[in-house]
Amino acid sequence: MRIVAVTACPTGIAHTYMAAEQLEKTARALGHDIKVETQGAMGIENELSDSDIRQAQVAIFAVDIEVEKRERFHDVKIIQVPVQEAIKNPVGIFQKVQG
Amino acid sequence: MHQVCEALEFTFVCPLANGFHARPASNMAAVANRFVADCSLMNLRSGSVANGKSVLSLIAADIRKGDECQFRVSGMDDKEACAALRRFVEHDLPACDEPLTEIATDRCSGMLPRALKLAGVNCYFGLSLSRGIGQGKVLVAGDLVAPRESSTETAAESWREQEQVDGAIAAVRARIEAMLLMRVSTTESAVLKAHLAMLGDITLKEKLSELIAQGLPADRAVEEAGQFFSECLRQSESLYIRERALDIQDLCLQLAEEINGTQFRPAALELSEPSVVVADILTPQQLLGFERRWLTALVLESAAATSHTIILASSLDIPTLVAVKDASLILLSGQEVIVDANRGLVVAELTPPVRRFYARELNTLRRRLSALERHSLGPAITADGRRLEVAANVSSAEELIPAFERGADAIGLFRTEFLYVGRETAPSEEEQVAVYLRAARHAAGRSVIIRTFDIGGDKPAPYLKLPRETNPFLGYRGVRIYPEHQDLIRTQLRSILRASAYGRLQMLIPMVSSIEEVLSFKQWVAEVQDELKGQQIDFDAAMPIGIMIEVPSVAFILAELCAEVDFFSIGTNDLCQYFLAMDRDNARVAKLSSVGHPGFVRFLKQIVDRVHEAGKWVGMCGEMAGDIRQLPLLVGLGLDEISVTASRIPALKQKITRLSATACEQFLSRTIDCRQVEQPDNVLERSQPTEAELPLLDLELVILNDESESKEEVIRQIIDALYVAGRTEDRELLEDAVHAREATYSTGVGYGFAIPHCKTSAVSCDSIGILKLRRPVEWDSLDGQPVQVVILMALRESATAANKHMQVFARLARKLMDKEFRDQLLVAQDANTVLTHVARELGLQVETSA
Repeated sequence: MRIVAVTACPTGIAHTYMAAEQLEKTARALGHDIKVETQGAMGIENELSDSDIRQAQVAIFAVDIEVEKRERFHDVKIIQVPVQEAIKNPVGIFQKVQG
Repeated sequence: MHQVCEALEFTFVCPLANGFHARPASNMAAVANRFVADCSLMNLRSGSVANGKSVLSLIAADIRKGDECQFRVSGMDDKEACAALRRFVEHDLPACDEPLTEIATDRCSGMLPRALKLAGVNCYFGLSLSRGIGQGKVLVAGDLVAPRESSTETAAESWREQEQVDGAIAAVRARIEAMLLMRVSTTESAVLKAHLAMLGDITLKEKLSELIAQGLPADRAVEEAGQFFSECLRQSESLYIRERALDIQDLCLQLAEEINGTQFRPAALELSEPSVVVADILTPQQLLGFERRWLTALVLESAAATSHTIILASSLDIPTLVAVKDASLILLSGQEVIVDANRGLVVAELTPPVRRFYARELNTLRRRLSALERHSLGPAITADGRRLEVAANVSSAEELIPAFERGADAIGLFRTEFLYVGRETAPSEEEQVAVYLRAARHAAGRSVIIRTFDIGGDKPAPYLKLPRETNPFLGYRGVRIYPEHQDLIRTQLRSILRASAYGRLQMLIPMVSSIEEVLSFKQWVAEVQDELKGQQIDFDAAMPIGIMIEVPSVAFILAELCAEVDFFSIGTNDLCQYFLAMDRDNARVAKLSSVGHPGFVRFLKQIVDRVHEAGKWVGMCGEMAGDIRQLPLLVGLGLDEISVTASRIPALKQKITRLSATACEQFLSRTIDCRQVEQPDNVLERSQPTEAELPLLDLELVILNDESESKEEVIRQIIDALYVAGRTEDRELLEDAVHAREATYSTGVGYGFAIPHCKTSAVSCDSIGILKLRRPVEWDSLDGQPVQVVILMALRESATAANKHMQVFARLARKLMDKEFRDQLLVAQDANTVLTHVARELGLQVETSA
C-alpha cells in the first residue's frame, strides 16, 4: 500500500519525530510504502509533493494541532489519530488503514 | 511699617500612588533645606502638619494619593523657596513614584523552587542581608528593648527630662562622630552619617519635646518617639524606608541606654548544637559571643544592612534574614528550622521532602562553588585565546581581601572619597599612608589603581566649604577643585607615593576634561616627588598615572592625552549620562539612558581604538563593566581590563572563557550598525551569538544511580547539574519552563524513557542532561510504565528553526523508538559509556574522561 503521513505535536521538538519514526518503521515491517512529512519546530520537513499525495491510497495524520497546507489532501482518504497513538500503537493505526 | 511676614501658600493634590514615602519626602526636604524660610506642609485631609524640611515629618504626615495638601512658606527667601517648591511639586514630584531602576544584582526571578511549592509548607519571607543556608534549632535571644518597668517611675519636672534627652542626644552624637573619625569602611560611615542626620532631624526633637511636655520620663519619651517614627517609616513597602525604620530604632535604643546608663543586653546565650538565633535586635558584641560553629543562621527583627551586626554576620558567612514578619511568634524555641537566605525565607516545617530538597540544595551549592572557583582563580582567557583582566572596584583597604578571594586579578578602582567625606577635618598624611599601605600589602604584588579624591557639592566634606550646587554632576568636583585645594591633593599624592614603595600602586585622576588639568596634576606629582627625594623617602618613581574617561570631551583629545598619561579607565556611569544628556538619577529619563545606545557603543569603540593606536592601556570601571549581559560587547571592544564589584567576578570570568573574541567583535559591529536605540536586553537576547558553544552533551551533565523519588526531583536534579556547569543562572525559571511543557502532555515516551524539554531564556547554551535512576519513578508515560532513563533538553529562547541542536533532538527522539539504542542506554554502567553511546548515535563529538 502507498501511504503518506503527517506528524505534528504542539512543541514540535520531540513527539513529532518519534511518531514519524514509528510510522516509518512499522510501515516497512508491514510491507507498506510510506513517506512521512514532519511539521515541527523546524518547519515542514520531508514535504509531501502533490504527486506523492496523488499516488497514495491513504493519508495518516498523527497530529495534535492543525495540519499545515491541509488543502493538498482534499482528494485522499484521511485517517487522523493523536500523535501519542502513533508512538504507542502504530500497528493499530495500520490495521485501521487496511480495515 | 508693615511688619507681618505674609506666608506664601499654594496647594496641590498628592499624585503619588504609594503616597508620600521616603523618596519623595527626602527629595522635597532637600529642596526646602536649600532655603532659610520656614516651610510647612498641611495635609488638608487629616489636618496633620509637617515640617517641609524634615523627612521624618513629611512621611509621618501620612499623605496619600489624592490628599489635598497646602504648603506655607514664610521667612527671608520665601519667594524663591515657594517658587522652587512649586516647581518641585509640579515637575519632579510625579516622577518620584516611579520604580527605581533596579540595582543590578545576581538576582533570579524570585520564584520558589517547585519542591517547596509542592511540599505545601509555609515559608516566611524576609530580607536577606547575608546569603547562605543554615539549619538548626531556634533559640530566641532576649529582648534588648528597654524593659517596661523602668518607665513606670514618674517623670521629674519636664525641664529635667528634656535636659536628659538633650544630653543623651549630644552624647550619642559625640560617640558617632568619634566613630566616624576612626577608620571605617564606606558602608559603616554611610550608616553613621544617616544616624547623625536623624539625630539632627528637627521633627524628632519636636516629637521628644512634645512627649516630655505630656509628662513622660525621658527614657519613655525616647522609646515612644522611636516607635512612632519607625511605625511611620514601616508603613511603606520600600526597602529603603524599612532600613531607615531599623536605623531610628537603633538610634533610640542608644539614646535610652544613654539616659538609663545601662546596656539593655541580656546575659550571653550558650549554644551547644546547630542553632538559628532569632532576636529582635542583636548587638555586635552579642553576635561575637556566640560559638561560631553552632551558629547556623540569624533571623533578626531589626537590623539595617549597614549595621555593624550585619557587616559582621556577612563577614563571618552567617546566613541572615531580617524583617521576617512576626519572626519571634512563628519561630518557637527548640523548633528545627531552615533559613534560606539565598531566597530570603525561613521554612519552619521540615517535612521529609523539604529536608530532601535542602540536603540536595546544599550539595548543589557546594559543587557550584568549587566549579566557579576553578574558573575564577586563574586568568580569564577567551576560547580563542584573548586575555581580559578582571579587576575589582573597592572603597576601602579591607575590601581587597575578599576581592582577591573571589578571583580579582587586580584592583581596578580604589575609591578614596571615603577618607574625606562625613568628617570635620581632612585626613592626615599618616592616616592615608596607613590605608594605602594596607591596600598594597593585601594586594601582594598585584596592581592597585588608586583614584584621587572625587569630591563635589553633592558630598559632605564641610572643611572644603564647597557651595551647594543645583547640578553637582556638572559642577565643581573631581580634578576641578584641586587647584583651589592644593594642600589636600598634595597630601594625598605624598601619601600614595610614600605607599608606592611597597606595592604596585597606580594613580587615577577623576573628572578630567582638558589637557591642562593633567599637566597641573603631573606638575604637583613632580614637585611632591622632589620633596620626597629631598627627604630621602622612598617611592616608586615610575608609578603610572592614568585618567578617568568620564567627560566626553576627553575622547577628542586622546592623542594629546596619550602623550601625557600611561593609562585610561572608562567610567561608564558618568560618561553615558553626559554623553546622552540623561540624568541617571532621574527616573523619567533613566530608562532611556542606556549603555546599549548605538551612538554610545560607537563612541566607546572609538575611544578604545584611539588609545590602543597610541599603545596605551584602557580599562572600564563603570556599572556596564559588571553587567554580564554586556560582556560580549566589552570583549568585542578589546578592553584591556574590566573592573567590577567583587561578587560579580567569578561569573564574569567563567563567561569570558566561553566567549570567542572574534565572534564578540562581529557582535559589536552588528550592535554598532543598529539604527535604533534598543534596550540592550533586546539586542543582546536576540542575537547573543558569541558564545564559544559549550558542547550540547557533556560528561558533567550525565548523572547515574540517581536517588530521586519523583518526576519533580529528577527534573530538579538535572537542572542542578546545569546550574553547577554554569549553563543556567535561574533554576526556578528553567524548572517552570520544563514543567509547563510537561503539563501539555507527559514526556514519558514509554519503554522506561522520558524526554522533558523546553525552550527558555533561563539557559545560556543549549544543553542535554541525561539521568539514570536507581529506582524507576512514575512519569505518567504513554505506556503507563515508570521511567528509568531521563533525557532533558533545554534550548535557548533564541533557538530558531535552523538550529542544529533542534535537529539533534529530533534525531534523538527518533532514536528512542529504536530498541537497540534504548537497551544499550539501559545497560550502560558508567557515565563515559552513556555519553559516547548517545554522542555516537547522534553524530556528536564529545570529550570523555579517562
